This record gives sequence, structure tokens and C-alpha cells, in this order.
Amino acid sequence: MTPVSVTPQAVLDRSDELRRGLDGSFRDSMVASLYQRAGELAGRSVREQGAGKWDFDQRIDRILTSRWLGLPVMLLLLGAVFWVTILGANVPSQMLANGFFAVEAAAAGWFESMGAPWWLTGLVWHGIFRGLAWVVSVMLPPMAIFFPVFTILEDLGYLPRVAFNLDWLFRKAGAHGKQALTMAMGFGCNAAGVTSTRIIDSPRERLLAILTNNFVPCNGRFPTLIMLAVIFVAAAVPPAAAAFAAAAAVVAVVLLGVCFTLGVSWALSRSLLSGEASAFTLEMPPYRRPSILRILYTSLIDRTIFVLGRAMLTAAPAGALIWILANVQAGGTTLADRSISLLEPLGTAIGLDGVILLAYVIAIPANEIVVPTMLMCYLGGAMMMDITTYEQIREVLVGQHGWTMLTAVNLMLFSLLHNPCATTILTIWKETRSARWTALGALMPLGLAFLVCLATAQAVRLLPL
Amino acid sequence: MNALSIGVAAALLVVILAAPKFGLLARWKRHRAYRAKSRSEDALKHILAWQHRSKLASLESLAGTMGLRPAAVLRVVAGLQTAGWVESGAGGIALTASGERRALEVVRAHRLWERHLSDDANMPMGKLHPAAERAEHSLSRQQVAELDAHLGHPQHDPHGDPIPRPDGTISALNAVSLNEWPAGRPALIAHLEDEPQAVFRQILLANLRPMQVVRVAESGPNHLAVEIDGRQHRIERSTAANIHVREIRPQDALPTERTRLSDLVQGACGEVAGLSPDCQGLSRRRLLDLGLTPGTRVEVALDNTFGDPRAFRVRGTTVALRRQQAEQVLIRPFPSSDGAETAP
Amino acid sequence: MNTEACDSCPAHVQMAKMGVDIANCDHVVALAGNPNTGKSSVFNALTGLRQHVGNWTGKTVTRAEGAFGYGGKRYKLVDLPGTYSLLSASHDEEISRNFLLFGQPDCTVVVVDATALERNLNLVLQVLEITDRAVVCVNLMDEAKRKGIEVDVRSLSRDLGVPAVSTVARTKEGLSDLVASVAGVACGETKTSPSRVAPPAEVQEAIDGLVPLIQGMAPGLPSARWVALRLLDGDHKVREALLSGELAGLADRQRQAAPLAASRIKAIAGAQ
Ligand SMILES: Nc1nc2c(ncn2[C@@H]2O[C@H](COP(=O)(O)OP(=O)(O)O)[C@@H](O)[C@H]2O)c(=O)[nH]1
Ligand SMILES: [Mg+2]
Repeated sequence: MTPVSVTPQAVLDRSDELRRGLDGSFRDSMVASLYQRAGELAGRSVREQGAGKWDFDQRIDRILTSRWLGLPVMLLLLGAVFWVTILGANVPSQMLANGFFAVEAAAAGWFESMGAPWWLTGLVWHGIFRGLAWVVSVMLPPMAIFFPVFTILEDLGYLPRVAFNLDWLFRKAGAHGKQALTMAMGFGCNAAGVTSTRIIDSPRERLLAILTNNFVPCNGRFPTLIMLAVIFVAAAVPPAAAAFAAAAAVVAVVLLGVCFTLGVSWALSRSLLSGEASAFTLEMPPYRRPSILRILYTSLIDRTIFVLGRAMLTAAPAGALIWILANVQAGGTTLADRSISLLEPLGTAIGLDGVILLAYVIAIPANEIVVPTMLMCYLGGAMMMDITTYEQIREVLVGQHGWTMLTAVNLMLFSLLHNPCATTILTIWKETRSARWTALGALMPLGLAFLVCLATAQAVRLLPL
Repeated sequence: MNALSIGVAAALLVVILAAPKFGLLARWKRHRAYRAKSRSEDALKHILAWQHRSKLASLESLAGTMGLRPAAVLRVVAGLQTAGWVESGAGGIALTASGERRALEVVRAHRLWERHLSDDANMPMGKLHPAAERAEHSLSRQQVAELDAHLGHPQHDPHGDPIPRPDGTISALNAVSLNEWPAGRPALIAHLEDEPQAVFRQILLANLRPMQVVRVAESGPNHLAVEIDGRQHRIERSTAANIHVREIRPQDALPTERTRLSDLVQGACGEVAGLSPDCQGLSRRRLLDLGLTPGTRVEVALDNTFGDPRAFRVRGTTVALRRQQAEQVLIRPFPSSDGAETAP
Repeated sequence: MNTEACDSCPAHVQMAKMGVDIANCDHVVALAGNPNTGKSSVFNALTGLRQHVGNWTGKTVTRAEGAFGYGGKRYKLVDLPGTYSLLSASHDEEISRNFLLFGQPDCTVVVVDATALERNLNLVLQVLEITDRAVVCVNLMDEAKRKGIEVDVRSLSRDLGVPAVSTVARTKEGLSDLVASVAGVACGETKTSPSRVAPPAEVQEAIDGLVPLIQGMAPGLPSARWVALRLLDGDHKVREALLSGELAGLADRQRQAAPLAASRIKAIAGAQ
């Protein structure tokens, strides 16, 4: 170490003194001189031949962000993404289910013939395997279609245009326009959406984005929405229009989610997180041709397999748990029946039932397993082989368990609003480092879900419909 | 059983009352301490303000501004005296040297906090003062120093008051009230007095901001007609007394002929003349970093459904700005959208 | 390749001691640049990893690390969040700036968008104020061609005083040239003389008044001029670094390849 001849404090004092001698606008002139030099350098090494291409980009942009077409085109694109997903996922889902349940039956039979105890066969094949089979067949096809299609939009450069189109609404809600980008990330996974809020500088607006990200249905919740849309909405229209109707229903749910996001942001901006909207600058990148191969690769391998893997990790123990609940008896009834009848009054009050609530309790670790859990509870010991198409599921739900349109609508609402999954809650904690905000982020949506469902249920029951 | 529950209840009560940090007693003590601190600091500020107007504060004047009963004021002043911050003589109450330092520290915290709320949180001018009134009492010296550094050592608060320096000096405001300014000659707004709030609201309604050029177009017995950005506003003389202006100096480098970026129509273009002086801090940096430096050519690229934000073409990129930001970019419009050259 | 030259790099010793899973890397290379210029694409192409890319500003909000080998050396590559400038005090800009200043990478690759060179050069010039070990990667050359824009990287390189390479990260075009340039700069074989922007006269005077003091306090600090400018600007992070002795520590390391200063670990850990 060399002896320090000047103390840091002396340097600071001198800099303070020198600063006072400077004109207040010296920062501006610093940036200006940097840009001037940059302009000179660029002038020397860049040659442009006609600006025709940017005109083309701009012409597309004028449509995608235009006064009259901007929002409709946005809805249309969103609808198209869901339409493609629903249309494409239907058949593969059934095929997967058929295959898996054939395996289940065969393997269970084989276990029995080997003389394995009944509980082992039940736990392994009718519990764990069945949980996995449901998760894979319900989730894999929609995800494998949704992720790549959505990534193409992202790679084209469309997302910033969405933020641009919607910023006014966010400003009115006291939030930041980039919140739209974080919501788009939330479509994939709410945890990723929460992390992406780092693009928002203002802490207040960032918290708003974190707390409301849950109102975007993530990929784990889409299967629920899609299934309900297909079973209840699509079934009510002629087959030719079925996929359109289902896609429209999902879009409607997403829009409702956007409304809740805006409403809750607005309310928070006037209560817990009061303040004004801060500055907003957003670069609109030029459109670029997406590289399809890379998109397919990353969205299939990285995202789909990753999300599916996580879902399977929770589905296996959940499957085992459900099987145990359904097969262990206490006082003459199974544990499942006991907990279901415990939850039933609450479930009925909000237009759902005990099974659905139980499924949500079991699915706290990952939203993906709600539908499989629900079906496994409903079906109890029945053989899965018979119930693989949507019509058969409809038959079980409506015919045997008394579902109505109200149940379907409220389940969609509940699915949209209820508390984020454990991973997301953990991410909220990581990003905020505050137990209070984390608790609010988890409980506020839950409370809202109960309130909204209660309100619709009571309204429907009171009104002579 | 019964005794046990009574015991538990009693223990709970003791905890609720006497817990070191969250207990009610501790809270109450903290509240008292804060109230005492804020009262004595408010009193110091009041005495300082009167001294700046070459007057001595009195118990009555203190009671008036602070809205306290005379007995309470007496307690506050007695506290200040024991601390050695004020001396009361025949003419009234005066600050000692250390009292003045302390008062300036509070003023410094107040004005820095206003700067922070304006620069970092974009809070509108009208809401700054009440918020800073609360914050000034709870900022530690360390926090004030950090805030100062974070804000880049600003010299003025958002409405033009000089910020006292850490060594307890404060630069004078070299400006006169708008009432005394000759009609017809352009002037620069140096300072807007933010108290009383009602008058300040009038000033803000007339769209007056520090560092803006004003011209008194017409001067009547009870009102003035002033021109800002080509628009005329009528201002009461009593309001004008709270507006302080000074001569325009060459180093203010104010562009003369200008509109705002927000006023350009779709497809129009112009050249950046500068950023509005009331755009400071992070938001100013942002705009500069995007390349909106004087002489840069900008073009309106995109509108949207709501007409806000809009996107602009700057240095080969398209950037969306909210109206509020676009208003802060001063523009020299080009006569027509084509054939115009960027001449720095 | 001349291994002796590389072993003498001060970074060599420090990197081995970083403890941040780069024990077997010889050099640290940082990827800086405006948002959406293809940093992550370059990162992926070089490391074979799959950092998510997307066509919007702010896609990368966390730092990613990877490695690649060239000429018998292993290089640690760090993908930084995109920034427009190093002057503002926003969070991601601070991450990038702290990494460049306190992490002292052996080479900084500034990825720029060939279709908006002027805007991107603003950042390049700022990076060159902090470090002279830099390579400019003029990416998106295919887009530029599509738009009828030609970039003369040789003249750019001459003007900037550091190597400039044109690339298309998507098709990996030009990446081998990029790696070769990076290797040259990281090992000190390529001598760079970065162009510095002359500030307005009065600011220059103030800088001249401050630089000797800074050099007196921390002899050998490579970015004394930049530090002076930041102090004049009232940058509180640089102020803190000065008071806590971090800056002086940097200078020490620069001169004698001293053991890794705490600041460097902090800069690297804090970057996430
Ligand atoms: N056509 C083309 N597109 C590129 C190139 N490099 C990157 N991209 C695309 O540009 C967008 C931004 O890339 P990304 O690596 O995420 O940029 P970053 O924000 O700097 O990390 C993505 O859509 C990439 O596919 C290139 O050389 N050519
Ligand atoms: Mg990136």
C-alpha cells in the first residue's frame, strides 16, 4: 500500500467547491456534447440509401396503434392466439388422456396380478400416476401451442405497442404503462411477471404491478379457463362456431382481468400506495422478423418443459394425497368426503362447491393441478378410461354433480382472481423483501375472489332469471 | 382455569401496553417526542421567516401561524430558550446563531424533500409543500445529506426558493415582485411563494412555473395581464405579490421562438430547442439520454386511441412519451414536414 | 497464443479468487449496450446458453453469466441489463455501471444497433470514459442492410480507437471476428486508445482541477477523469465509493494485482 497523500474528504470538498462554480446547466451540455460527438462519428461511418424501409415499418405501426383500429386489432390478435390454442389442443389432449389411462388400467391390472397389496396399486397408479396423467394431458397441448405463438408476437416487437396503446388507461389508474409488459410476461407465468416489474423505476408503480400481476391468468390457469370455455360456452353454440365462442370467452376473462388490474391499481393509488403517475418513456423497437426455429426450441424446451416439470413435481404428491383422502376412512366416511362437506357451505355460498374449494387448497403449490385435482375428487374410484372427452367431462360435472352455468362462470372468476401460487408468492417476497406487501399480494386477490364470487352467486340467486 | 386465563389476559395487556417498540406506551412516547420536535422546529422556521423580513416574531405571531393556544406556545418557546436557540427581548423573539443554524437545517430538509418529490415522484407543485411540512421533522442529518447527493446537490427547490447549504449559508433571492416589474419588458420567474396555499393555487392555475419568461402586457390598479408562452392570463395584484421575477441573463440560454413537443401534430417535425426548466432530476436525464438535446430533429410518429402517449422519431429510433413529458420538450417547428434540414 | 502476456494480466489472479463459479476462467468479458440491440443473442450465440431474448426494452432484467473458450483460454461472459446511458441514477443503469467500474472486466463488449448508430454511440462514448478495454460490436447488420443503411466499421474503429466488428447475432455472422478482437483486448495484445469527448470548456477546467487530487488519492486509477466528472455531477454512488475507499482499492489492484478487493465481489454479487 502506498501512503495516501490526499484524503477522500478533501477530494469531495474540492468537487463541491468546483461544482458551485459551474453553471447549473452543465449536465445538459455534457450530454449534448456526447451526442454531438456521436452524431459526428455516425455521420462519418454510416451511409443511408433511401429511408423507404422505415416508412414501411411506420405504415404497419400506424395501423397497429391507430385511433380506431389499435384496440380492436389487439383484441383480435389476442383472440386469435387463444383460438389457435383451443383448436389445436383439443384432439392431442384427448389422445394423451386415452393413452395414459390405458396405461393406468393395464399397469394396475399387472400390479394386481403380481399380488401387490391394494393400497400400493391404488397409491401408485390411481393416485400418483393419475395425477401426472391429468396434468400432462390437460396442460401440455395448450402450452405447447400458446408459448410459441405468443413468443412470435413478442419477437416481432408487438408487446411495446400494446403498452403504448394501453398506457393512457394505466396512467388514469395511477400506474405505469410498462405494467402492460409485465402483464404480458404474466401470461406465461406470474412469477416471471413479478420479476419483470424491475423495468419499472418508480417503486410505487412497481409495487402496483407486482400486486396486480396475479390478475393475468397464467399458463397454469389457462387449462381451467379453456376447459370451462369449451364445456360450457362452446357447447351452447353450433359446433362450427364452438372454437370461436370458446376463444371469445377466454378473451372476455382476460379483459376482465385487465379491468381488475386497472381497478385495483386505481384503488391502491388512492389508498395504500397513494401518489401520482411518474414519467413514462418507452422505446418502440422496429419490427423484426422472428426466428421461428429458435422460438420453437426455446418455448418448447425451456418454457413448456420447465413449467410442465414443475407442475408434475406438485402433481405427483397431490395425486397421492387425493388418493389417500379418498381411501382413508375415519368414522365411516372418507377423509375426502369429510373435508368436502366441511367446505361445502362456503363453496355453495360463493356459487362453487366443496370439491372445487378442496381442489384449490390442494393446488396452492401450483395452479396447474386444480382441474386434475377437481376431476379426481369428483370421479373418486371410477375408472378413468371412460372419461376423456370434453363431452364426457361435461356429463360428469353437469349430470352427476349438479354444475350450472353459474358454477362455470364463478369458477372462471375464481380462477382469474384467487391467490397466486406459492412460487409467485415467494417471488413477490424476493422482489419486495417485505412480509406486509407479500401478505397483501396473497390475501387481497383471495379476498377479492371470494367477494366477487359471492356477489355474482347472490345476484343470480336473487334475480328471477 | 379461571386464574390462568386472567393471568394470560393480564400478561397480554402488559405486552400490548409496554412492549418496547410496538407497545402503546412506546408509541405514545414516540408520538409526544415527534410532536414536541415538530412544534419547536416549526417555531424556529417562523422566527427565521420573520427575521428574513426584518421583523421580530412574537408569542402572538407564533400562536397565529402555528394554531396553538398561548400556553402551548409559551412551552415551546421556553424549550427553545433552554436549548439556547432563541432569545426573547423587548421587541420579540430572536434566533441565536445556533438557533439560526438549526432553523436553516429544517428549511434545507424541507426544500430538498420538495425537490425529491417533484423530481423523483413527479408530484404536482401544489402538493409538495404539505408533504414536505411533514417530512422535514423526521429526516435525520444523514438522510438529508444522502438526499442532497442523490438529487445532485440542487440549488433551488421546485418553486425557486434557494436551498440552504450544509454549512448554514443561504444565497439570497435576487428578484422583485411582479408588481414592481415594468410593463412590456420580459422577465424570468425566479420564485413562486407557496404560502398561503390559496394564493399559490391561483398562481398554478395561471400556469406559472419558475424559469418561465413572463411579460406584463397590461397593468391595472387591481390586476395585471401577463403573457406566458403566447397566452394571456389575468392575475390579481395580491397574487402577483407572491411572484418574484428577475432580469433574463444570456446564460439562461432561453430559446425564443418555440412551441412544445406535445403541440406538434401527427407527421409534423421540428428541432429541439431545449428542455423546460421545471423538468429536473431523473425525468430530465431520461429525456436527455434518449437524445432530446438541443438541435435534434424530432418528428411525430404515432398517435393512439387515447391520444396519449404519442411516439416520436428521434435519432433513428421511435420513442413513446406521455403528454406530460412531451410538454417539457421545447420545440422550434419546421415550416413543413419535408425538405427541412437539421441545422445545429 | 502468448500465454505469458495473459498470465501477467492483473485480472488473472483476481478472477481465480472470485469464488463466483468462474474458478477456471481466465478472463471476464462484460456485454453492455442499449436495450434491444441483441446482447442476449450475442451471449447465447457465444456461450450456447439460452438466455431469453425478446424484441422489447427491458427483456433482460437480471444478469446472466456463461462461458466460452477461445485460443486455449476460458472466458466468462456477463450479460448486463441494457441501458441508454451511464449518467442517470436508475436501477439497471447502476447495475451496469457498477459492474464496469468495480467489476473491472478484462474486456467490455458494447453491442450497438447498426440501424440507430447515433443513439447507440452515446453509450459507447460513455463506456470508453470508464474503461479503455472495449470492443464495439455493430450488431443487426442484416436489419441495417434491409433498411438500406451501410456502416463502415473500419472507419468507426479508427474514430473510436477501439476494435469494432460487424455482426449478425442471429446467424452468428462475424462472431468469430468478435471473439478474436475480445481475446486481443482482454490479453492486452491489442492496444486501444479510446476517443474521449472534450466536455465544454468550463467543465474541462473543473475536471482539470479535480483529476490531480483524485490521482493523488488513488494513483493509477484508470478512470480518474470519469470519476471527476461524476463527482462534479454529484453522483452519490461514486461519492460513497470514494469515501469508503473502494475507489482507492480499485487503483491499488490496477497497479499491483492485489488480492480481490471486497468491492469487486460486491459489484459482481450486487449485479444480480
Ligand atoms: N435480424 C436480427 N435480429 C436480431 C439480431 N440480434 C438480435 N436480434 C433480435 O433482436 C431482438 C432483441 O434481442 P436481444 O438479444 O433480446 O437484445 P438485448 O435486449 O440487447 O439482450 C430479438 O428479437 C432478437 O431475435 C440480428 O443480428 N439480426
Ligand atoms: Mg437481453
